[in-house]
Amino acid sequence: MNDMTTTAVADFVQDPANPRNPHLPRFCGRGNIRAHVPADLVRDSGLITSPEFLVEPHDYMAAMHTKLPPIFYSPSDYGNSWTLIKHEDCLKVLRNANDFRNLDIAPFPRPDDDYFFFIPPEIDPPHHRKYRNIVDPLFCPAGIKTLEGKIRQRAIDLIEGFVADGACEFTTAFGRPLPVAVFLDIMGLPQDMMGTFVGWCDTMIHSSDPAEVGKAFGSAIAYLKVAIAEKQANPDGGVVSLIANAEIDGRKLSEKEVFGFVCFLWIGGLDTVYATLNNIWVWLARHPERVQEIIDRPDDIDDIVEELLRRYSVTFSGRVVARDIELRGVQMKQGDRVLCCLPAANFDPEVFPNPLEVDFDRPRKTILAFTVGVHSCMGGHLARMELKIALQEWLKRIPRFSIKPGHEIKYKPGGVVGPAAVPLVW
Amino acid sequence: MPKVTYIAHDGARSTVDVPVGENVMRGALYNGVDGIAGECGGAPSCATCHVYVDDAWTDRVGGPAGAAEAELLEAAACEVKPSSRLSCQIVLSDALDGLIVHLPESQY
Ligand code: HEM
Ligand code: FES
Repeated sequence: MNDMTTTAVADFVQDPANPRNPHLPRFCGRGNIRAHVPADLVRDSGLITSPEFLVEPHDYMAAMHTKLPPIFYSPSDYGNSWTLIKHEDCLKVLRNANDFRNLDIAPFPRPDDDYFFFIPPEIDPPHHRKYRNIVDPLFCPAGIKTLEGKIRQRAIDLIEGFVADGACEFTTAFGRPLPVAVFLDIMGLPQDMMGTFVGWCDTMIHSSDPAEVGKAFGSAIAYLKVAIAEKQANPDGGVVSLIANAEIDGRKLSEKEVFGFVCFLWIGGLDTVYATLNNIWVWLARHPERVQEIIDRPDDIDDIVEELLRRYSVTFSGRVVARDIELRGVQMKQGDRVLCCLPAANFDPEVFPNPLEVDFDRPRKTILAFTVGVHSCMGGHLARMELKIALQEWLKRIPRFSIKPGHEIKYKPGGVVGPAAVPLVW
Repeated sequence: MPKVTYIAHDGARSTVDVPVGENVMRGALYNGVDGIAGECGGAPSCATCHVYVDDAWTDRVGGPAGAAEAELLEAAACEVKPSSRLSCQIVLSDALDGLIVHLPESQY
């Protein structure tokens, strides 16, 4: 039903300098399943909020391969979507940016008369690359390498602050502050904003009150807008300044472009690293023998990080079908939403045999932690560097640690998958 | 600055300057040369920067930089030949000034 309201997704012409709302069709809930969807493919994915998922989300996503069809249609009050779990299918969709567009990525209120795009995710090729080129020199492996010393010092300072205590709550003592400190450094924002940023992040993640979340996000936006204006007046080497003063196609970026770009970095670069660290530290705390293996193999740290990113991927890639298309025999129509369950793709036993096993000697394959295709994560090298340094500096100082006795790890529902609290003792 | 020539599958040639220390994948992306996706930015983790090093250059460029590149190459979309490399792992030096690489029909 409701096909009459479908706007032609393929016809939406994007003009990044004059952003407007694509007004995509929305199909929410079981009462709103489109006519072309076969009844036997309608399944509840259980992702993110179901009690079964929240027991141990990664085990749950690995088990999807035995319990659910490779492609199924999952109804949800937030929006129905085809859910993809096969590695091969995710690669196909994510590498086909023409037929699967990345629009309307967040249920974030953007008024029609003051619409902006999140940049770069909501920008299609060929414009997309122009934005990435602005900051790529900093986010490429060589650029990130120049930050290594600074990141390492941030990590060391944090750990030295609590190592003598013999205990910490990992998410607040390290998982949260490390990425925020690094983010502030890279963006060229002052470290004394640390406490304020941490507060905003915590409210946005942990508060279940939409008004509070909106308020925290609003404060962050107001702050970023002032920071952008300052960097335009006094440029420096930070990313905010780089973006605020950038040109593409011979023109300066508009205020909305600058804002949409800076704002997305803040959304994309903090919770993801936070959740990844938290997941990995739970695993480390439970596997002292594997911690020893990591300590004993210092030269293999890059492979170790890559495998941990595969095993503990934290997020998803949503796309909108722009043209009617068939995938694995399933007919999708334009306007349908597709959700690539990246962690499930990383557990595809056809590509990663014995997928839940952490094996640092797996042959290198394409992992989807950072998705694939033109919208592959821009911060992937930074994230890898943060994880590598965190492992090295932590294990140097705290080689043996475990979850505080009696504490049961609980997972928070949310688009970035990770535990709510990780109390550790050593 | 070293020059790199990219020869597309249809024979179209593009010659661009790529700074010493940069890699062949980024040389293409920054100069708008089509045919290299380079989607992971050189982790390496994607194998979408596959090129065939020109016969005249294979000795100087050498084989895969490590196990990760060799393993990933197996996932390249087009035929993998002895001259195949992931271009994000070929770093420019003055010795590679004039390098010629051939692009596969597709990276996916
Ligand atoms: C372990 C940490 C991280 C993970 C797991 C992660 C994951 C991802 C994923 C899955 C996407 C694609 C989303 C989609 O398909 O819609 C993405 C995109 C992106 N990420 Fe990350 N990310 C991480 C860290 C970072 C950091 C540290 C930054 C920057 C400071 C960052 C910046 C971005 C940007 C700008 C994009 C959009 C790229 C584009 O559309 O071209 N990410 N990330
Ligand atoms: S750019 Fe991804 S492997 Fe070379």
